[in-house]
Amino acid sequence: MLPCLTDLAAEDPAARDILGDLDASIVLRILGGAAATLRLRSGRVAWENGCGRGIPSVSLLFLSDRHLNAFFSGRTWAVPLTLWGGWRVGVLQRFAKLARRLKAVLNGDPPVLATPAGRRLHARLSLIAAGLGLRPLADGDEPARNALRSLPPGLAAFSIAGEPGATIWFDHGSVDNAAGWGEPPRRPDVCITFADMDVAYAAMRDEIDALAAIGCGQITVEGLVPLADGLNVVMERLRVYLQPSAS
Amino acid sequence: MNSPDNRFRRSQELFARAAKVIPGGIYGHAGPAIGLPGSFPYYADRAQGCRYWDVDGNEYIDYLCGYGPMILGHQHPEVEAAAARQQRDALCLNHPGPIMVELAEHLVSLVEFSAWAVFGKNGSDMTTWALQVAREHTRRRKILKVAGAYHGMDPWCTPGHAGLLEEDRAHIHDFTWNDLDSFERLLKSFRGDIAGVIMTPFHHPVFHASQMPAPGFWPHIEAACRRDGIVLILDDIRAGFRLDLHGSHKYFGFEPDLICFCKALANGHPLSATLGRRELRVAASKVFLTGSYWNNPPPMAAAMACLKIMQSEDTVSTLRRLGEMLMTGLVEAGRKHGYAMLASGPPATPFLSFADDPSLRRQQRFCAEVTRRGAMFHPHHNWFLSAAHTPEDIAATLRMADEAFAVIKSEGL
Repeated sequence: MLPCLTDLAAEDPAARDILGDLDASIVLRILGGAAATLRLRSGRVAWENGCGRGIPSVSLLFLSDRHLNAFFSGRTWAVPLTLWGGWRVGVLQRFAKLARRLKAVLNGDPPVLATPAGRRLHARLSLIAAGLGLRPLADGDEPARNALRSLPPGLAAFSIAGEPGATIWFDHGSVDNAAGWGEPPRRPDVCITFADMDVAYAAMRDEIDALAAIGCGQITVEGLVPLADGLNVVMERLRVYLQPSAS
Repeated sequence: MNSPDNRFRRSQELFARAAKVIPGGIYGHAGPAIGLPGSFPYYADRAQGCRYWDVDGNEYIDYLCGYGPMILGHQHPEVEAAAARQQRDALCLNHPGPIMVELAEHLVSLVEFSAWAVFGKNGSDMTTWALQVAREHTRRRKILKVAGAYHGMDPWCTPGHAGLLEEDRAHIHDFTWNDLDSFERLLKSFRGDIAGVIMTPFHHPVFHASQMPAPGFWPHIEAACRRDGIVLILDDIRAGFRLDLHGSHKYFGFEPDLICFCKALANGHPLSATLGRRELRVAASKVFLTGSYWNNPPPMAAAMACLKIMQSEDTVSTLRRLGEMLMTGLVEAGRKHGYAMLASGPPATPFLSFADDPSLRRQQRFCAEVTRRGAMFHPHHNWFLSAAHTPEDIAATLRMADEAFAVIKSEGL
């Protein structure tokens, strides 16, 4: 989710309004697990792995991965424990509001999808979330792991034509997998490109006939086709996790 | 589809219409996703001999042959006359025609180990039915197959991902081609519960070079099946009649229990068949088998004509000779331009790939350039020769390939 926050702040005026002139750092830590630090400054969001240097403005603890995901999914019960900076009410409120804005954009809430700019943002962030979700899927989801086993190794890049920076990549290695957002580390073995934001939007929402779109040139797959085809199956597994649950 | 010079305008128009009313536009193996959008036509208009024309009037020497069926070439006059003659009498009747009996007798006489034959329309009809026969005969559940092998579109084997349940493949287990250890592991794991092993005579996975059986591979598989009472099913749908008129097992020196044919059986007319050993006859009689058009006589008449022509003209030798000429020439042309080429599969069903091209980009550009010049080279699927190809066609193709190699070389690929 953290790269999505960075992109949200860069691309969404509403998110920048929320951030305003906030200058703060927030550590997000999962109990017994990973930590990351968000730096909010001048309407921008940057992040890094770990707790960073110095004392953060706020430090939040999540009890599990699911707890963290639930928080960013807007679950009201998923309030994190405040380890430090609980008195910085303004920072906490704005961060919570930013998380709600991210959730609205990723979920494609009706007000977001009502405008071309909102649809563009939804598609862009969905692509980032889907791409970065490949790695944890590859590591932990059994159906995804089974699908990956039959794929050739290689680097796949997914991008939207005319949307600089909106490229996600997944490196399917024979031993390890890696994923990232932005410029791929080397020339991809396969490039999947959505012709424009509308096509990407429809594809992200599973509302497009992808095979027909390939035939019409709305989606191009250039290079190692079987890797792209297989990753599509893996990405479909993401929906299982991203769909709002009944709880 | 982006064709810069508009050479597929009509194909594009048709596809745009299709995309509105047909899921995928064109589904299955002929769909654009597996080919080269922008470099391949989507729709074809007519064909004759070893050539076909797309809907924009572009002409191609055909190295796909309808993905296999056109073994004698398109519109073969004797085959078409036999089918037409039969159709004048009847197309679709309440009962099978005499031709069904004649064809079964002919096939059984052709394939030495077989004692009976049944007919369907597609390869999948036969492979799926053959599995049921194996299960009925052995009263066991498990089926072993090679990972990445294509056996049809039914849930137990489809390469697609959608609409499947885990239960569909609960008793289907994969081993690796030419890896007898992986085969033996499955035998050990499921001993006493394996009904059948289904395999193609050589491995021809899409997106990869074809793999011939390693020395000892087939004899080991055959011996294990005999020893453990497992039904050995040869899926000869793609290679059948191209390697050996009596079944591809003869080419590789083993003997299956069931053999499935389709594609080349009737030179493009819709017909498939399974032949089997006498011991499987009772099981075969119990497994239900039918279809709306499965008794239609015209494709069976076409098959009879096709089989007799293949026999009298020694089509197998012709295909081997033409395939060797094509592949030797392509490898040499590649070498001349500095490329190490890999010619894989038997000459009659060959495939060409670049030795060092993991992203497939060089392969795709090369095939696009050859196709643009008038010979249909698929970058991801094995090719087919027909008896209608001539040495002159092969020579013309090699000239196109030479130019294509020069183009990709100039592009730095």
